[in-house]
Amino acid sequence: MNRIMSDKRMIACLVVPGLLVIFAGIVFPITMSVYLSLTDQQGGAAVEFIGLENYVQIFKADKTFWRSIFHSLLLAIGLICVQHPACILFAILLDKIGGRAEKVFRILLFIPCIISIMVTSKMWINILNPTFGMLNKILQAVGLSALCKNWLSDPNYVLWCIIFIVMWQGFGYGMLIYYAGVKGISSDINEACAIDGAQGWKKFLYVTFPLLIPVITVNVTLAIISALKEMEIIYLITDGGPGTCSQFVANYLYQIAFRNYQYGYANAISVVFVIICLFVTILYNMALKARDA
Amino acid sequence: MRNISNAAEKRKKKFGRLILWTILIIFAGLQFFPMVWIVDFSLAKDTQLFGSDILIWPESPQWQNYVMAWTNGHVLRYSLNSMFVVVCTIVITVFFSLTLGYAFTRMRWRHSKAVLSFVLLGMMIPIHTTLLPNFLIYQKLHLLDTPLALILPYSAFSIPLGVFIMTGFMESLPVSLEEAAVIDGCGVMRIIFQIAFPLTKSAVATIAVMTFINNWNEFIMASTFLSTPTWKTLPFSVYEFAGQYTSRYAVQFAVMVLASIPALVVYALLNEQITKGVTFGAVKE
Repeated sequence: MNRIMSDKRMIACLVVPGLLVIFAGIVFPITMSVYLSLTDQQGGAAVEFIGLENYVQIFKADKTFWRSIFHSLLLAIGLICVQHPACILFAILLDKIGGRAEKVFRILLFIPCIISIMVTSKMWINILNPTFGMLNKILQAVGLSALCKNWLSDPNYVLWCIIFIVMWQGFGYGMLIYYAGVKGISSDINEACAIDGAQGWKKFLYVTFPLLIPVITVNVTLAIISALKEMEIIYLITDGGPGTCSQFVANYLYQIAFRNYQYGYANAISVVFVIICLFVTILYNMALKARDA
Repeated sequence: MRNISNAAEKRKKKFGRLILWTILIIFAGLQFFPMVWIVDFSLAKDTQLFGSDILIWPESPQWQNYVMAWTNGHVLRYSLNSMFVVVCTIVITVFFSLTLGYAFTRMRWRHSKAVLSFVLLGMMIPIHTTLLPNFLIYQKLHLLDTPLALILPYSAFSIPLGVFIMTGFMESLPVSLEEAAVIDGCGVMRIIFQIAFPLTKSAVATIAVMTFINNWNEFIMASTFLSTPTWKTLPFSVYEFAGQYTSRYAVQFAVMVLASIPALVVYALLNEQITKGVTFGAVKE
């Protein structure tokens, strides 16, 4: 057994092809990014080596980049402070209702996660449309026409609209993860609570919530990473506009690369972006270690 | 006395359940209503959308919207393209998750832990950071406008999650069966594909489903790497139709409905697996 399981050639056969795919799809492109980020390549033009100039530009002069990061941060705070509590609440409610209804609601609440972002984005553009959109129609119907707005072109509201849509789209996903956490609380504990008379708020505060903390740490990290990754919804709904009011890093990167053809600079943004994501991951691992210790 | 308090308790419980139901129904409605809205408007006339009604009562459902959506939205062709790309990605992802997962959990070699952590890092890297370099690479290799330009990055970004699920699952499997196979003179390859593969079926299903969800609706890469209709994927149906027939609002809704159907069918058939896949990491930690 031991001899077979440490056969070097066999291990290489198993590991190398899979790693090659990862290298070809992730590692090599990122390495290339690092190289190109040190140049001033524009479109198909000749490449000239300019050292760290692109990075200096990002850190010193690029307001849009840092504004995008700030927007991601706001989104992450929104996800953690609004979406996740809602997810936890509904995970508990689902568990409470039980029976067939539990399954039906679970399926209904997850549906927005299954439908293409292309479709849901178009849908939200229509809902928020100033002339025939549903939101303004409802506001008029309940006599609040004063609140009607051109939601997606108003610099004061567009970012909040985007944050709301992202929360709406991801709600089912987050809820399902917490739901598994709630289901993972053993029936012994529930019985003990029933005997000791711990119900409602008390049970949530002293039993359910502490038991969910491991799930919460995982989810909070995922929320930060997904807030940084957010792209499709922005690209399809506002394209970062008006101006840079709803810009996010990935979309900004796309515009620099494929509209301005500033390949060198876009690659530098890519590299900084990867580093930020890895940094968050390291923080997360440190948090996990601290918890386990 | 006891009876009375019991009855009061019961009434209180009933009231609680009523509130519970109301909250859940309202919220499920909020999540689901937009779908109702799309279907509703997809059967309306193009001009009806500008009325003041929130929903339109379909007195004369315009079924021909769907005929136009089907023929001019290239729904069938783009669905098949999506299917081909995603199935290839799933096969590659499952295969390498299995071999890598086995090597990480069963085989003994130096740096096994380090390589595993390295692979898992892939889960944290945004797919969009590779968009530009991959575009430049595929341009050089003449891979733009081929399905491989999507299958390769999709697989590379799906394998880390697959390995994460597979290693977690394999760790919980007893090794006794494999030990017996080794004593019978079975090679590693045969152990993986004839013994481990059937035992890890539920992990394989979970990986397949997650790979489907994560890649079926991907659009940014597809729109960057594909420019001719030959290999365009399903999200293009909605995107292109809206661009070409700007004033056919109702038909645009019909295209959206059609484009959502394949994923909804998969969800209806596999929702247990999807629940398992999404919640995998949370339960394990």
